[in-house]
Amino acid sequence: MIYLDNAATTLYKPPQVADAMMQALQVMGNSSRGTHSSSLNAAHTVYAARVKLAELFGCTRPDHVVFTCNATEALNMAIFGLISRGDHVITTDLEHNSVLRPLYRLVDEQAVDLDFVSADQAGNLNYAEFEKLVRPNTKAIVCTHASNLTGNLTDIAKISDVAAAHGLILIVDGAQTAGTRPINMTELGIDVLCFTGHKGMMGPQGTGGLCLREGLEIRPLKVGGSGVQSYSRVQPPQLPTLLEAGTLNAHGICGLSAAVDYLNAVGLQAIHEKETVLMRRFYEGVKHLPNVTVYGNFCGDRAAIVSLNVGDYDSGVVADVLSEEYDIATRPGAHCAPRMHRALGTEQQGAVRFSFSWFNTEEEIDRAIQVVKELTVC
Amino acid sequence: MAGQAELNYYILFANYTHGLALQEQLRKEGLPARIAPTPRSIQGELSCGMSLLVKAEYIEAVRQSIVRNQAEYYDIVEMPCQIQPRRNKFC
Repeated sequence: MIYLDNAATTLYKPPQVADAMMQALQVMGNSSRGTHSSSLNAAHTVYAARVKLAELFGCTRPDHVVFTCNATEALNMAIFGLISRGDHVITTDLEHNSVLRPLYRLVDEQAVDLDFVSADQAGNLNYAEFEKLVRPNTKAIVCTHASNLTGNLTDIAKISDVAAAHGLILIVDGAQTAGTRPINMTELGIDVLCFTGHKGMMGPQGTGGLCLREGLEIRPLKVGGSGVQSYSRVQPPQLPTLLEAGTLNAHGICGLSAAVDYLNAVGLQAIHEKETVLMRRFYEGVKHLPNVTVYGNFCGDRAAIVSLNVGDYDSGVVADVLSEEYDIATRPGAHCAPRMHRALGTEQQGAVRFSFSWFNTEEEIDRAIQVVKELTVC
Repeated sequence: MAGQAELNYYILFANYTHGLALQEQLRKEGLPARIAPTPRSIQGELSCGMSLLVKAEYIEAVRQSIVRNQAEYYDIVEMPCQIQPRRNKFC
């Protein structure tokens, strides 16, 4: 199979990830529960992962790295934990449902006001709107680092300037960029960076987290067992315990930690450069094909995603043919990005998303180009 | 027996993460500190079930390290060693 659905999850992981998890499954006790050797094995592994992730993302404190089961849970924690009744929030047309649905819920249940920065038909954000949308009760800007549909990057530094000028909390969805390029949340002025472990970071599913800027006051989304402060009626206020009720996925975190070691050994810049080469090779190969419409802005730096349609074929049909006839895995449909599809005009047709990873090869890209070419003459 | 026992010092924490962070810092500085269950009698309501057990001869250096590195901790509690197992493993 040629696997080009890496924006959904990376299928191929560094072998160290599976090795670490196999080992962990045999020796790890419950992290933060007890002090016998197997418990401490898990606790040390989880702590080491926090340190690595803090360094990877420019988070000033390892104890401000909080583990979750995915980016959606991290975004829910950030959004429900920081935004209150009557607040105003600015978000964008680029967002995934992991941002949209928590915000819509706040609108419906907590009288939160919500405004969107619009995107044009190439998926470009109209950045001037951020400043114009700020109100006296604006609390936060929630935005993705890259569209999971077009691969367009958002200019976080520019957005951060607006947030800083008005004292707003900047929550960034890094689901599509974490592990595929250097991200320093402190330098970029990000208050909360949410990430998933199983996409560009090449770790296991069921891992993810959020990195918090020091000094943020956040309410926990869930409360319960913490292994500490057992006689307190309330969730311990110290991070990361505040946001980590229940047993952690230490086996998965061990795999994620091994994946971070791999990312560091290879180098994020090298990964970014290779994925960019593959993405651009594919784009150059399909952009002039008759009846092919490619979506997004390819002028500058971007995520390794190319979404397209072939004529007026339903995107689901195209992806099915790619899978069944050519053994190429892509992702059709709506991609949990309803507003982005509306902006692109692809709400009905959807789009076929090709997304690339460190483990793809130029031969795979050339084969995919050839197949798309064949489909254009069907 | 307790009156003649040597003193142990338990450094208490709000959570495991803070305890592991300090242990790592002390390790780098060559200061021995073993992770141990926090005795219930000194745990109170707020501290964590794990603590760092430090021998008396190192406690002042450990205190200085905590101050120097602004390490997070909840309390430092002095406690006589209550048990003398055969291999002197735990105290």
